[in-house]
Amino acid sequence: MSRREPALADRLGALREAVEVADGRLAVPEVGAARALLAKAGAREALGDATVVALAGATGSGKSTLFNALVGAEVSSPGVRRPTTGTTHAAVWGGDGADRLLDWLEVSRRHRVEAPDPALDGLVLLDLPDHDSVRLEHRLEVDRLVELVDVLIWVLDPQKYADAAVHDRYLAPLAGHAGVLLVVLNQVDRLDEPAGVACRDDLRRLLDGEGLAATPVLPVSARTGAGLPELRAVLERRVTARRAATDRLAADARGVAGALAAHCGTPSRAGRDPGRPGPELVEALAAAAGVPAVVSAVERSARRRGARSTGWPLLRWTARLRPDPLRRLHLGDEEARTSLPQPGAVAAAGLRTAVRHARDEVGADLPQAWRDELRRTTEVTEERLADRLDRAVAGADLGPDRTPVWQRATGVVQWLLALVGLAGALWLVALAVLGWLQLDGVLPVPEVSGLPLPTVLLGGGLLAGALLALVARPLVRAGARRRARRARRRLTDRVAEVARAEVAEPLAETRADHDRFCAAVQRAGR
Amino acid sequence: MTAAAPTVPDALETLRDRVAELSFGLAVPGRADAAREARAVVDQVDDYLLPRLRDLDAPLLAVVGGSTGAGKSTLVNSLLHADVTRAGVLRPTTRAPVLVCAPADRAAFAGDRVLPHLARTTGAPGGPDDGHGALRLVAHDALPAGLALLDAPDVDSVVTANRDLAAQLLAAADLWIFVTTAARYADAVPWDLLHTAVQRGTAVAVVLDRVPPEARDEVADDLAGMLRRAGLSAARLFVVAERPLDGGLLPAEEIAPLRAWLLGLAADQEQRDAVVRQTLAGALDSLSDRVTGLLAAEEQQHAAARTLQEAADAAYARARQEVDDAVAGGALLRGEVLARWQEFVGTGEWMRGLQASVGRLRDRIGSAMTGRRTSPEQVQASLGSSVADLLQAAADSAAERTATSWRSLPGGTALLAGRERDLEAASPDFPDAAVDEVRDWQGEVLELVRSEGAGKRARARWLSWGVNGAGAVVMVAVFASTGGLTGGEVAVAGGTTAVGQRLLEAVLGDAAVRSLAARARADLRERAGRLLDTERARFADLVTAAAPAPDGITRLRAAADGLATARRSR
Repeated sequence: MSRREPALADRLGALREAVEVADGRLAVPEVGAARALLAKAGAREALGDATVVALAGATGSGKSTLFNALVGAEVSSPGVRRPTTGTTHAAVWGGDGADRLLDWLEVSRRHRVEAPDPALDGLVLLDLPDHDSVRLEHRLEVDRLVELVDVLIWVLDPQKYADAAVHDRYLAPLAGHAGVLLVVLNQVDRLDEPAGVACRDDLRRLLDGEGLAATPVLPVSARTGAGLPELRAVLERRVTARRAATDRLAADARGVAGALAAHCGTPSRAGRDPGRPGPELVEALAAAAGVPAVVSAVERSARRRGARSTGWPLLRWTARLRPDPLRRLHLGDEEARTSLPQPGAVAAAGLRTAVRHARDEVGADLPQAWRDELRRTTEVTEERLADRLDRAVAGADLGPDRTPVWQRATGVVQWLLALVGLAGALWLVALAVLGWLQLDGVLPVPEVSGLPLPTVLLGGGLLAGALLALVARPLVRAGARRRARRARRRLTDRVAEVARAEVAEPLAETRADHDRFCAAVQRAGR
Repeated sequence: MTAAAPTVPDALETLRDRVAELSFGLAVPGRADAAREARAVVDQVDDYLLPRLRDLDAPLLAVVGGSTGAGKSTLVNSLLHADVTRAGVLRPTTRAPVLVCAPADRAAFAGDRVLPHLARTTGAPGGPDDGHGALRLVAHDALPAGLALLDAPDVDSVVTANRDLAAQLLAAADLWIFVTTAARYADAVPWDLLHTAVQRGTAVAVVLDRVPPEARDEVADDLAGMLRRAGLSAARLFVVAERPLDGGLLPAEEIAPLRAWLLGLAADQEQRDAVVRQTLAGALDSLSDRVTGLLAAEEQQHAAARTLQEAADAAYARARQEVDDAVAGGALLRGEVLARWQEFVGTGEWMRGLQASVGRLRDRIGSAMTGRRTSPEQVQASLGSSVADLLQAAADSAAERTATSWRSLPGGTALLAGRERDLEAASPDFPDAAVDEVRDWQGEVLELVRSEGAGKRARARWLSWGVNGAGAVVMVAVFASTGGLTGGEVAVAGGTTAVGQRLLEAVLGDAAVRSLAARARADLRERAGRLLDTERARFADLVTAAAPAPDGITRLRAAADGLATARRSR
């Protein structure tokens, strides 16, 4: 291998991380397969580094004869009746009993090789049942063990080497395990030399076509012993390297990572802050939270208060007859619910659309499984959103409640003018009473540019008061608008905070999880 | 036997046409098998049943079939004592099937009578890549008249086309000569075929090839037992021992029993008829079971299509209900729309026609005055955009709901494949369509008001108000008139709407206002329904394209009944 391969522990660690991220988020079967592989890897690594080699093949291919030839004793009884091998037989080379390993494999027929060849120490050879007979239980046993063993030797014979059953169900799906697989063409003694070469070439062609070009093909004859030394040499090489289990697990991990890669989209572009809500979203949330209603209530209330302070004293008490629009909304206490009305159908529709757009933007280039997860996330969010928005609006600080100084000053001036007018009025009343009592001339009536002073005082006071009220009105309105703008800014900031915490952040989290998942899958599949 | 009853061949042809019309477009589990079975039924009717029914005296067709490497070609060559088909060591060997017949029967097999869809080639054998759609025809003297042998491809070879062709040829046979070996006689795939033969009552003969001479009896007994247990006790079993080939052919003494039996069969007319009748009757009998299976599969398709349609209908009905509720319940009044309306009613605009002095009026009307002048057009526009937003949100959520429910229904995922992103939201031209529709509705309401108010032109207030204002009032009345303004409203002065409505009532008459509001509401509902139906059609069209024809099941059942009647009346 020219490329340095990552260690199995790294691969499995990456796979574990991917499974952790996907747990609870992705509901796809590949995650279950990854979890099963991790469990199998854990169990296998604890059972030592013996090499488990399985002889698999079709009915009548000569597996049992080959098995006996390799073991050197008649363990499996080959027969003429078909199907023959019903249960799996195991032969163990080496002293340290691979009993726990065979327990894990659920193989009950065990044979310890006498006088074992030291080069094969640590080999566990299995003779599997056939996989294509009428007995279904044989096939199930083969399927189970094919997943668990370290090295697979497929025994083919000239009659059946092109069977669809072998190629479609076992060889082609193992395309990623070319290094773990070995193909043996048995019964070559039945063919003469040119036929044998032609047969081998044809088999090679079939295997190459299925992506198994790296799998060696060994011609043997279990009956005459031809080719057996080569086969034994291959086994010795594998056993002494003590890497068979690792190789198999690495190949499995690569396969599982490849399957999981189907659920990986492109990673996020760097530089964009995903946790920040867009302006459209904030606007829609503000509309749903009733921010316009609150802002207009703020403005109206400020205007009312200003009118009360600077208005004509004779009339401004009428303002008290109407309720303060701001106080009706019961704002100011974050714990209590406001008296704002529920968002109407339109505002709710706008909210849903805005959340949907935010979700589509985050999930634009993600695969379907992750888009489903995004949808689930926003569904949970939408239920809580109304409450959170209400709280945000309730807790907003809408600015000081005090009346500005100039309004108070104007109010004082208004009272003074009113007093002046009152003085003039009283004077005129006194003059009128005195006139009625025929006591003219008791009180002096000074004149100011031709007009009597009391009249001037009365008229001037009233007029000045009215003028002052008129002049103050636009100033009051401007002040109210300013207050409203400030309130809107503060409310929008709080709503934006809610948008970030409730909508943008969960979406960004999901996106980040997807990126982590993809990185882990890529690491596991290298 | 009435003259009007159809003959069996005609009824069979009708049945074949009906089966060929079946479609399995929805990806429910089991659909691939059902499609294959339908094709197999059509093929068998074309290849075997119709030709045989039309000509009961035609020569017997014996198909030699079996697994890869069983020795079929060697067997055929040995029977004829000539090198007719190519045997070899590479698998699969037989690429193009070879039909060997007597020269006298050549005409019977050269035409389209049997296996009409396979071309016939004669002359020199072709290369290894012989076309699969062809049948090699060889006339040989060694074969007596009345019997033809067909060397079929392997039933379990790696090449899928070979497997399908082998199944097709076996279905076209009067007699199966099934070849297996001592190594393969317990294989699963060939036994599946033998079970099919049992179900159809086909005449079968089994040849056990390549038996080691020492194990001959044991293996033969085992196989005989298996055949008995499978219900093939009537099948003849021939055993051929493994001996060195004699010039590429099996030794004559091994082949002798089989050859004798075949020649006897060819010579004896009665025996041939018995075989033909047995296979024919069995095939016709089995047709009813197979057609029942196909009917069930077609029912499944119908059910799946129905479920998918219902899911789409339910989602869009819910969307329509959402829009209805929002329109009828006065909910659209809340928020911005009503705030604007409030300003509109409270402004001097309205009062200007009544009084002159602005200041005194302001004080009298009180806090309902905000001083901002809103023209009637502004109110209308905000109402319109609200309805369009509502429609957009309803269409989006209905599409998403449908797509999600389809993903969990059988066949739904396949229908959505490649189109998910488009179908999960409303179609891209929906917003414009909604806006257009709402604007049309607003125009409709204006028309209503105009036609109603035409007779009351004398009323000065209404004129100065402008038609637009009255239309806006009606629209707001539409939303408010069902009593949606309950005591729960706080920030909304519902009374201003009542003021507007009272005014309109004064102008146009009480009953007229109510009927106007009702008509406007109904019109809006209808338009919303139309828009949502167009959206729903995207999903409905997908299902209709993949679903089978609605009357396919009844027609197939009628055809099957017709066949049964024809057979009974024969």
